[in-house]
Amino acid sequence: MRPHAMTPATVPTRRAFSERMAEYGAIDGEFVVFEADIGYSTFSHLFGDKYPERYFNMGIAEGNMVSAAAGMAADGRVAVASSYGVFITMRALESVRTFVCYPELNVKFLSSHGGFTPAIDGVTHQATEDIANMMTLPNMKVLVPADTWSSRKLFDVALQTPGPVFVRLMRDPILDLYETSDSFHMGGSHTVIEGTDVTIVTYGDIVFEAIEAASILRKDGIRAELIDMYSLKPFDREALVRSLDKTGALVVAENHQKRNGLGYELSNFCIKNKVVPFENLGLEDTFAECGSYRKLLEKYGLSKTRIADAAKRILRRA
Amino acid sequence: MKTATQGQHARSFDERVAFLAEKAREVRSRIVDMIYKAKSGHPGGALSAADIVTALYFDILRVDPAHPRWPDRDRFLLSKGHACPVLYSCLAMRGYFGLEHLDTLRQFESILQGHPIRKTPGIDMTTGSLGHGLSIGLGMALDGKLRKKDYTVYVMLGDGESNEGHVWEAAMAAAKFRTDNLIAIVDRNRLQMDGCCDDIMPMGNIAAKFKAFGWKTYEINGHDMAEILHAIEKARKGRGKPVCIVANTVKGKGVSYMEDRFEWHGKCPDADQLSCAMKEIWGEDS
Repeated sequence: MRPHAMTPATVPTRRAFSERMAEYGAIDGEFVVFEADIGYSTFSHLFGDKYPERYFNMGIAEGNMVSAAAGMAADGRVAVASSYGVFITMRALESVRTFVCYPELNVKFLSSHGGFTPAIDGVTHQATEDIANMMTLPNMKVLVPADTWSSRKLFDVALQTPGPVFVRLMRDPILDLYETSDSFHMGGSHTVIEGTDVTIVTYGDIVFEAIEAASILRKDGIRAELIDMYSLKPFDREALVRSLDKTGALVVAENHQKRNGLGYELSNFCIKNKVVPFENLGLEDTFAECGSYRKLLEKYGLSKTRIADAAKRILRRA
Repeated sequence: MKTATQGQHARSFDERVAFLAEKAREVRSRIVDMIYKAKSGHPGGALSAADIVTALYFDILRVDPAHPRWPDRDRFLLSKGHACPVLYSCLAMRGYFGLEHLDTLRQFESILQGHPIRKTPGIDMTTGSLGHGLSIGLGMALDGKLRKKDYTVYVMLGDGESNEGHVWEAAMAAAKFRTDNLIAIVDRNRLQMDGCCDDIMPMGNIAAKFKAFGWKTYEINGHDMAEILHAIEKARKGRGKPVCIVANTVKGKGVSYMEDRFEWHGKCPDADQLSCAMKEIWGEDS
């Protein structure tokens, strides 16, 4: 276990990211933010309150918002386009693909309500295919912070990385894991718990379920290694291989469709480079539903016990 | 920096119009020739836009072909990107790249892709997936306002393209932000890929629609150089509102067998049709 204890997060990652974005307005005087009428939910208004002349609320029209952000970024400016994951990665997908990724423009995506973290809003607002859509796009990079500090740092990483970057954020605060001494970079990861028997890879909200899953496993004498793969594309191959060399077994758990998420990405890598027993947890070709986040974690197989069970299952096979 | 208009404005208005009419003739011939050589492309909508795009590149736009990314340049977006042979002809004739490239349209490794891309010298933004150009132009216009630059952003749309809801998202946003440095020109040729606009998806009065969204609007004959120049001059002087010029045109204009026929939206002429087109464009004696 990491040397420091976790504490309840006071703000969700969407707010932590936006707070850093508001600070960044002073660092880059040309930086602009586009919003699609949910600025008080994404907290992009924190930037808009300070820099109204550089904050463009485009109304409920996400496709136009992203294409306009591309036009704004066409001559060297950096723009953030802010909305919920379902809208950025589906309604505006063509704008993201053809007018941001293809010309490799400096548009960053503040994508809130990732996975089923907007649990009680229901499926219309749950972004459970966002990672698949974004990972597929050439030139796009994909980041998912789990807590307050990583949200602030990954804002900086996104802004320092040339070209399009997608950052998935979540609706509600969970726990704070990282300290201000922890650093983050594109293509990096954090080994949150060191172990020798099985590697659990996850990102975002599921990091906290996986930490508890590791505690359950320890009681059964299984030492799980937990990697927070906060950079999904590109992902940290070295850390994965190093861990699998030790453990020889892999569980990937994610708040997303199993299909074409990080689990598919890593299993594809492993088939070519390092074949190990493998389990993938996520939505099994299904939509989630409305209900408490906790209920959804249980039903769709992402709770601590389900993650621990998956680890035990593959260890029997290993 | 040189500008497109340098030299042109020393001439009388009538001389400018005559000069542009002659240039448009060459642009039309290059469009048909290019598509013939590529054995593929979209002649109808390129020919309907030919007079307007010629007027832009040979009189109106403040650009410098030696410095395609000059920050103070006017921007032009061909949102109806399939009509790119008209744009490529004008860019080559203005010297952004050699005329020999026109013979490589749509070919492997050509700088002239089937739809415009940003990597081609003189192309301000990738376009051609319909409905996005006005949004992108809006972003560029907002960028100009923020930078306190005096450049103008011109976006050419198709009337068929205006079926896309995205166009109207951009229309309402441009009115909100009062981007009076944004000029939309609708190539109203009344045909789209599958037939007449009025049959496929009637757009009614496009100028009235933009007006209702809060735009200043003009309606012109898009093949009359004097009307084109006058309308754009007025549009540039407008303050407080984006401007839409609905240009009534004929699809395939200048080649009789293509005129007003939707079949020529995306069809390539054969050798006989090419020579017939050249005769019509240049006159029987050429």
